[in-house]
Amino acid sequence: MPYIGATPTTQSFISGTDYFNGTGSATAFTLTRAVTSVNDIQAVVNNVVQVPNDAYTISGTTITFTSAPSAGTSNVYVRYLSTTTQAITPSQGTVGWSQLNADTQQDLGISFKNRIINGNMVIDQRNAGASITANDDTYALDRFKTAASQSSKLTAQQNAGSVTPPVGFSRYLGYTSSSAYSITSTDYFTIQQGIEGFNMADLNWGTANAKTVTLSFWVRSSLTGTFGGSLRNASADRSYPFTYTINTANTWEYETITIAGDTSGTWGATNGGGIYLGIGLGVGSTLSGTAGAWAGSNFRSATGATSVVGTNGATFYITGVQLEVGTQATTFDNRSYGTELALCERYYQDFTDRTANGYAGFFTGYVASGGYNISMYMTFPTAMRIAPAITISGWAGGIQPSPLSGTNGTALYYAAGSGGLFTFRSGAGVFNASAEL
Amino acid sequence: MYKIQMFEGQQVGIIRVATNTYIPLVEGNTDYQAYLKWLAEGNTPLPAENT
Repeated sequence: MPYIGATPTTQSFISGTDYFNGTGSATAFTLTRAVTSVNDIQAVVNNVVQVPNDAYTISGTTITFTSAPSAGTSNVYVRYLSTTTQAITPSQGTVGWSQLNADTQQDLGISFKNRIINGNMVIDQRNAGASITANDDTYALDRFKTAASQSSKLTAQQNAGSVTPPVGFSRYLGYTSSSAYSITSTDYFTIQQGIEGFNMADLNWGTANAKTVTLSFWVRSSLTGTFGGSLRNASADRSYPFTYTINTANTWEYETITIAGDTSGTWGATNGGGIYLGIGLGVGSTLSGTAGAWAGSNFRSATGATSVVGTNGATFYITGVQLEVGTQATTFDNRSYGTELALCERYYQDFTDRTANGYAGFFTGYVASGGYNISMYMTFPTAMRIAPAITISGWAGGIQPSPLSGTNGTALYYAAGSGGLFTFRSGAGVFNASAEL
Repeated sequence: MYKIQMFEGQQVGIIRVATNTYIPLVEGNTDYQAYLKWLAEGNTPLPAENT
């Protein structure tokens, strides 16, 4: 980077004179400053002032005389008459925030630089690191959903294959192909994350002021070649297919893709879907489009991209996924574990007690006889995007309450059929709330 | 298969029976959208067991 901040502007006049030795044959001499006009200097030969344009011309740092000055020592000199442009080095403590360009400001840790949540693949509330069959609408890790038109073609797991992650990361999301499946024109297998409208509204997409974004990630595959993915809007009528290249098998490679913001279409600005990032693992021709251009279509990947599901046992690992404003991929936005977990909890919360013989007791009481409706209100640790769907199974004590959820919590109620002690507590099953995009 | 969820005489949600998931009647909930798609395909939910 040649300078910090805005482009240096014209500075005040600084005097100066260049001296040259005439040879009798040389007509061109090199100046110490670039000038733009013959009027920016005064050229003197043997103490006679020369006429601009007639006696000499200027091109950058070169002055060319019409006739070669006679031989002599310092008998040719050039005096500078105009202001000059200087490259300056700011002294310590003089550079302020407003002097930094947008990309640099982003890299200095403006809040929520990375619009992708759990991009370093650390949070895994659902599976705690266990492998899953990556069918449609399943989550191997928080916020990263598998979109699949066919079942049982992939498995997915945090740190699948136990390879060493890229420097600076401890986790990755790993997919393994379960067969050699030949995709049809309408098939799709992608790793997807929906970015909430609230978290991308500042990009001004869908307007003339749409901001450019840069996607970056680390990827490692047993396959090489051209791979693809896309950005789409919630209504899937705007999409931007992109490609990237994996050059060496089983080696972590860093990929960056800069995408000019979409000036058309409708893009979310509230708690609905905003941008949907998809990383292709095999997408049919109907859902693939020309890379590097916005289209009014539902393209999940780029035409001709490699199909991971097409090779039995093929692996595809990814981490450090970042989508940020600007034209530069900057260092990964390492948020604290607690911050990242809270961000994930806006979309999914797990209340299952996974400890051996453990119970998560919420409420205990006693009713004298049946016919009573018992209820309690459970506040979520993090307010959710919308009222979540709540899954309860394996409830302990024979009580199966019904929830009535809101964004801040849920009411659990139970119609007591008979008198006695009751306890709302989770057992060996699951208890979670989902408000995913 | 889905089942109607009632509370105090009113429908307040849907239950996805296979996973025992309680789904609120909220447009932006993807589980509810999946239910609406299932309904549009001509399926009919089970009636509520109790109110």
